[in-house]
Amino acid sequence: MRYIQLTNPETRGLAPTALGGRHGELGLDDQLDWLFGTALSGFAGVARGGQFPVDLYQDKDNTYVRAELPGVTPDAINVELVNGSLSIQASRKVKSVAGEEEASFSRLVNLPDDVQADKVSAAYENGVLTVTLPVKEEAKPKKISISVN
Amino acid sequence: MSLISSLIHPTEAEKHVAQRPRYDIEETDNAFGLTVFLPGVAKAGLEITDEDGELHVKGKRSAGVPEAAPALHRETSDASYELVLSHDNTVDTGKIVAELKDGVLRLSVPKAESAKPRKIAIS
Repeated sequence: MRYIQLTNPETRGLAPTALGGRHGELGLDDQLDWLFGTALSGFAGVARGGQFPVDLYQDKDNTYVRAELPGVTPDAINVELVNGSLSIQASRKVKSVAGEEEASFSRLVNLPDDVQADKVSAAYENGVLTVTLPVKEEAKPKKISISVN
Repeated sequence: MSLISSLIHPTEAEKHVAQRPRYDIEETDNAFGLTVFLPGVAKAGLEITDEDGELHVKGKRSAGVPEAAPALHRETSDASYELVLSHDNTVDTGKIVAELKDGVLRLSVPKAESAKPRKIAIS
């Protein structure tokens, strides 16, 4: 089993780069890791097991982790929160010339600190797993009104 | 802006380019079995056509997260899927059976009678 760790998005600053992505703020090593990690996952990943692509979104209420896992039954997906990271494991039966074999996938995604661990929910639709992680109340920006006398 | 991120991140125009999905083809005596991986595509967003010896599979992704949520990290694209496979018309296109489940499309394309293997009896 192989764990691939995403760089914690919090360490990258919050201002988007000119291109709308955040990779411009990574070092060259990180960029190469990311580039090759993604490129290699394209070959064996979805068909034979191993890695699968993951997207990370965040709005003011939730963090969303979206994983492409086509052909996996919801029963075969395991989502766990371990020490502030989200672990996604899945397996799928693959028919091949040699008969039926099981392919397993796993991925560990680092999450921001302000996730409310007890309110995590997950949904699987059209081969895409979406995990919704609410942001802790105290981490949400609060508007303080100032009264002027 | 670094060189690598400018190579990786598509421009607005490039986002409209279709992406070829991963697929497998199996052949038996009677049919071709086509498996196309289309994560994020619902039945309504799928279009399968066969014309002039070309089988087209087009899939539009449906949004999985609220559209207003900004992305922190992306490894997938929003581009539609498009797969074009040409064949020599030795398939029975009227009897194609398609099934979409959990983002995987399975197509059974029966071979035309003339293309099936025949055993010739020796008199």
